[in-house]
Amino acid sequence: MALPLPAFVAKRRPDWDALQALLARQKAGALKLEELRTLDTLYRRAAADLAHTQTFYPGTDAHRFLNQLCGQAYAAIYQPPRERWPAVRDFFRRDFPVTLRRELRFVGASAAVFCLGLLLGALVVLWEPRGAELLVPAGVRQYVAQGRMWTDDILSMAPPNSVASGIATNNLTVTIVTFALGMLGGLGTLYMLVNNGVQIGAISALCIREGMTRGFLDFIAAHGPVELSIIVIAGGAGLMVGQALIDPGELPRGQALALRGREAVKLVLGCAPFLACIGVVEGYVSPGSLFPTWVKAALGLSLGALFWGYLLRAGNSEAVRTGAPADSAS
Amino acid sequence: MHTAPTPHLDVATPERVALTLPVAGIGYRCLAWLVDASLLFFFWLVAYFAFTLVVSDVLGALQALSGLARTLLVVGLFATQWLYWTVGEVFFHGQTVGKRALGIRVVRADGSPVGLYESAVRNLCRAVDFLPMAYAAGCICMLLTRQHRRLGDLLAGTLLVREERIDLDKYTAQAPAAAAVGAQGAARALTPEEVELVLAFLARAEGLRPDVRRRMGEKLVDRVGGLSGEARAAVLASPERTEAFLRARARAEG
Repeated sequence: MALPLPAFVAKRRPDWDALQALLARQKAGALKLEELRTLDTLYRRAAADLAHTQTFYPGTDAHRFLNQLCGQAYAAIYQPPRERWPAVRDFFRRDFPVTLRRELRFVGASAAVFCLGLLLGALVVLWEPRGAELLVPAGVRQYVAQGRMWTDDILSMAPPNSVASGIATNNLTVTIVTFALGMLGGLGTLYMLVNNGVQIGAISALCIREGMTRGFLDFIAAHGPVELSIIVIAGGAGLMVGQALIDPGELPRGQALALRGREAVKLVLGCAPFLACIGVVEGYVSPGSLFPTWVKAALGLSLGALFWGYLLRAGNSEAVRTGAPADSAS
Repeated sequence: MHTAPTPHLDVATPERVALTLPVAGIGYRCLAWLVDASLLFFFWLVAYFAFTLVVSDVLGALQALSGLARTLLVVGLFATQWLYWTVGEVFFHGQTVGKRALGIRVVRADGSPVGLYESAVRNLCRAVDFLPMAYAAGCICMLLTRQHRRLGDLLAGTLLVREERIDLDKYTAQAPAAAAVGAQGAARALTPEEVELVLAFLARAEGLRPDVRRRMGEKLVDRVGGLSGEARAAVLASPERTEAFLRARARAEG
């Protein structure tokens, strides 16, 4: 026989209040083992009370209160494992490169699209010089017309909105947007890849035409290989998202999206520290003539080789040693 | 009734209890974002003025920074803008400062707390949700999806649930000292809906206009009282007596 609602609330309320107090202290992170046991017991009792209210007092405030209380306790008890430093180390030692190798198809497709844009931009400008007016930003064209690199002024402090510093600070934005635009069915990512490719291709072709090949290489050699790789990888992640949207396979679209999203973001997160490092190189080494061109070229090539060596090799031997039993266990 | 089909999230816990959590709508989310955005804005404002106090020639000082320092500044600015959300959601139980102020919280689609990857996905996607300006894409997506999720939420498999402030005191509140009218009479047990109705009225009675207060009290007495003639007239003599009667009626032990 069900009690009247007020009597039920009066009878059970002390337990609920105790659970609320424990949850508040759990958020502050100050619980002892004994109290955790109490928390568990109280949660189970509250869950039973919730079932009771669902049957006898549906739609009342008491019902909604218990819903919420159990929701909070559920969140507190079934927490995901905390990400700690060992997890970060594992991520970079194995998870990130292995994920990248598994999704190499997408990175390859992204690279192909990017190179297509590159070729397109370069060919248009080499073929028809006036194409540069269309494809190259006006600021860059002014500098090139004067026979100077637009990047010379970064260290000697000219207008702060100079194009080169814009490019430098935009790297993060470009990477993130290239990935995130995958949400538009992959079209946004394709657009970003082609667009970036065309711009870079057009600028390099313009420099070659104007006899500034040396200056251009001088600027781009140190950071170019890694930076462009990162953009291509982010593009691959965006394409993964787009593929999940268009062709979710056997899963419902929402689930496929969430699943692929988790994988794709690993690629972007993994690139973040490298992007920061290469940003330092771009801001500090690339502009000006502090370093001779051959040093920059050597640095850029070795950084690129290191980066791809890491991506293609890291976690390999460990996967062979520990991966097989882990796979069979799961 | 309360059971109107507002958007909600159904969770089946391992304890075999079905939770139903209310989903936060677009209004809550916009307000929470405003709180967070103004917080970040004021942080940079304060940082700027602190910097200005230390260095008199701001423009000159900014230009004197080396390429390295400039890059670090830009990267740092970007990190505070972006890390803020993810750190808040991962380490503070799915809540940034703004979400805490509004009482909303990010959870996975199955009701469990978000992890690092989910939070990173949904916050990286702010770039897309912001398109073309002022979160237009995100808002349209929220209006179109059943559980008010923006594109980033769809990709990460997350959503926002609301925490309501529910006052249980109304169930246990003692009647004021006024003489309680016996409610035992021809009492039948009230249904939970009626108890809820009466308690909701009692909680708000103080703030109602006198005539409304009297009229609603009368209706409720007629519905739950089962009184007639003199007893009814006596109960309706003053609002205090009416409410004391209703309180006694709602709290009657079955």
